[in-house]
Amino acid sequence: MSTFNWKIVGAAGEGIKVAGLIFSKTCFQQGLFVHAYTEYPSLIRGGHNTFQTAFSIQEQTAPQIKLDLLVDLDGSAIKLHQVEITDKTIILTNTQPTKNNILNLPLDDLIKQASGVPQMKNIVTLGASCFFFNLDLQALNLQITEVFSKKGPEVISKNQQAAKLGYDFVKKNYSDKIIVKEKPQSSQKDSFFLTGNEALALGAIAGGMKIFLAYPMTPATSILHFMAKHEKTADIAVRHAEDEIGVINMALGASFAGARSMVATSGGGFSLMNEGLGLSGVSETPLVIVNVMRPGPASGMPTWSGQGDLLFAINASQDEFPRIVLTPGDPQEAFQLSKLAQNLAEKYQLPVIILSDKYLAESHFTVKKFAPQHTNQRYGLITQTDLKKDKPFPRYQNTDSGVSPRTLPGQANGVHLCNSYDHDQLGYATEKIKPRSQQVVKRNKKIPVILKNADFPQPQLFGPQTAQHTLVSWGSNKGVILQALKQLPNVNFIHFPCVWPFPLEKFNQLAKSTQNLITLECNSTSQLSLLIRQQTGINITNHLLKYDGRPFYPSEIINYFKSKTT
Amino acid sequence: MKQTPAQTRTTTIKPTWCPGCGNFGILNAIKSALDKLNIPPHQAVFTYDVGCSSNMADFVYSYGFHGLHGRALPLAAGIKLANPKLPVIAIIGDGGCFGEGIAHFIGLARGNHDILVITHDNYLYSLTTGQMSPISPKGTKTPSTPHGSIEEPFNPLASALINHASFVARGFAADIPHLTNLLTAGIKHQGFAVLNVLQPCPSYNKTMTPDWYKQHIQYLDKQNYQPTDFNKALDLAVNQKNKLPIGIFFQQQKPTYHQQLPNFNPDNPPAHQDISKINITPLLSTSKVES
Repeated sequence: MSTFNWKIVGAAGEGIKVAGLIFSKTCFQQGLFVHAYTEYPSLIRGGHNTFQTAFSIQEQTAPQIKLDLLVDLDGSAIKLHQVEITDKTIILTNTQPTKNNILNLPLDDLIKQASGVPQMKNIVTLGASCFFFNLDLQALNLQITEVFSKKGPEVISKNQQAAKLGYDFVKKNYSDKIIVKEKPQSSQKDSFFLTGNEALALGAIAGGMKIFLAYPMTPATSILHFMAKHEKTADIAVRHAEDEIGVINMALGASFAGARSMVATSGGGFSLMNEGLGLSGVSETPLVIVNVMRPGPASGMPTWSGQGDLLFAINASQDEFPRIVLTPGDPQEAFQLSKLAQNLAEKYQLPVIILSDKYLAESHFTVKKFAPQHTNQRYGLITQTDLKKDKPFPRYQNTDSGVSPRTLPGQANGVHLCNSYDHDQLGYATEKIKPRSQQVVKRNKKIPVILKNADFPQPQLFGPQTAQHTLVSWGSNKGVILQALKQLPNVNFIHFPCVWPFPLEKFNQLAKSTQNLITLECNSTSQLSLLIRQQTGINITNHLLKYDGRPFYPSEIINYFKSKTT
Repeated sequence: MKQTPAQTRTTTIKPTWCPGCGNFGILNAIKSALDKLNIPPHQAVFTYDVGCSSNMADFVYSYGFHGLHGRALPLAAGIKLANPKLPVIAIIGDGGCFGEGIAHFIGLARGNHDILVITHDNYLYSLTTGQMSPISPKGTKTPSTPHGSIEEPFNPLASALINHASFVARGFAADIPHLTNLLTAGIKHQGFAVLNVLQPCPSYNKTMTPDWYKQHIQYLDKQNYQPTDFNKALDLAVNQKNKLPIGIFFQQQKPTYHQQLPNFNPDNPPAHQDISKINITPLLSTSKVES
């Protein structure tokens, strides 16, 4: 069995996403590797929504373009998805008569037979889809039961009936069009099927995050929903605050008091948080800030994906202070780096920014199960026995690593002032030459310490050790590139899971054995290559860029190299 | 013998306020209130805004976070959320609280976050050399409004009341014993407490002098006023008729924000929870990510 690609399209409100998820989970439950990607406009009714599922008995880490089956709920599919349709694509529709691979599915009649409601159209098409891919109707029924569990047994049974009618109808009328003739073998186990946002939220909780604050902003909102839903189970405090400025300042207050804290937003909210980011930097208060990117500037395209904030994240807020910018490539890394971020922020007493994007945040991936047990250590907190005198505690004491010991409010003999103004070692405001310079140098000392530590996420090489071409990328392109690499024996790939502080030594070492470097990014100016040139002097002149709000597809990368060699 | 910071509640840094500034009185009243309540310096947490009032950060010996302009309130609410055992006091001016930071004032009042907000109210932005503040009466001439301010003044007490603050009071910086009593009540109050303190600014506010204040102030406790009736309090806050009543306008007991959190445990605040071992298994089953 090779990779198959299924897609359902229709208007918002027609249940595109729920149908897509039910179908994807049906495939996942049958032991297949599943990758699901959804596109939708920023509205509640109307517009054009899509949900596509690529599934295989082999690892599947990217969306595919060419479709095996396209489900058309509103008659728009053929016009809008021309480039995805091949001469083999089956199109299921109720708006056109059957002709070649366009197969009519009388949705209204079938729903009537099931004494159902028009909203069940999507479920009928799922039953039909199961037939074409030789998927168990039983597995589909299980997912239907789960999704409609709150609506009661009658709704469940009607939906299951609708699915069966869809299945039986295509089996009776179009059995010659079946796509998968043999039952697919179960090939994946011990996996999760989850989104990047879910993985990131779980990682933060595993890393000891105790307080989460956010103001809703697509595509970061589902992190807030996840945290709020699991507030009790995870034993955390969650607040949807008045605005992003309130969010970041409240999180800093909580962190100063001793609780590991995180905030999540997208570019617009991150812009509002910039002064707070600087406050975290100068006051050396640990904080994790998640920026789930979408195209901008300003309101941009809220429900689409992009990677335009790389240099912004590295440079945001006035003047200079150390920070860490993590760029997870997939849910596995989102989990690990989100957990690590909680520890790094506290260890180095600085802001840690996690850059994700809508594609990683809201797509569903099949990933290896995360470990259930997690251990954490607290950093930099001084014990009571080391505090001898009731006098101002030197919170910003000059040290070799740049990291000063911390006391927490309530701790006797640890009284200090945490300060947004330039300050001396005791935290009191000063405008004198020596303490200002000393504190700037003290903060900057953290950078080499961070880079030398074993926990720093260094750039990684994937594919053959040497290759004719080397793709260089960061963040969510990882899965797409890895999928493409399977068909590109002459290409390897350097992935950055952390772009700041810039891993100069490791990158130079990896770049040394490369021939042609090509950056791949979802922005228009190749910000990674600008960063690499700034940091290493290496001038990468070949770029594969996309900035239309959509992620890369593996075939686009494959075609790029094909056109290079021909 | 020289007293220690713990005894004086002050650092060795000499206050930079102008002679006759109302902030001296407010600082003295804060010290007396904490003495009265027997709260040691390490058990009190202050957040400071940006402005003359908040330069107090360097003079107070207690845990403190000197934050950004307009943001002292969310900092304070964050501290309280992480460690509800500690009393948290936000020091802020009328500009920071009712101008730049007004969204926080309203949002946190509505949530009854358990913090005491002391708004140092001198009707001006004094640290930036005396521009109008949201409290300045219409027509006030300042460097940013040389032809007279156009806006009607903001009403701090009425706004606190209609946004569900559970303790609303006004004091006068020059009457330290009276202000001390208000502070004691405000610190003891569980919930969002607003204490608006009228303070003369001898450098920039030449009309609202200490004498002017003395002519306008009325003591509520001398009028047998009971701070339990919301409508009376609102009437008092809105219809002041050229008088400035001081005292507690309104006080109500109701659950605080942190007490209403689904997993609130007063003995195990988030700041001190053990994170050495975390098991995410229960989350995995409820989030339905597993097959």
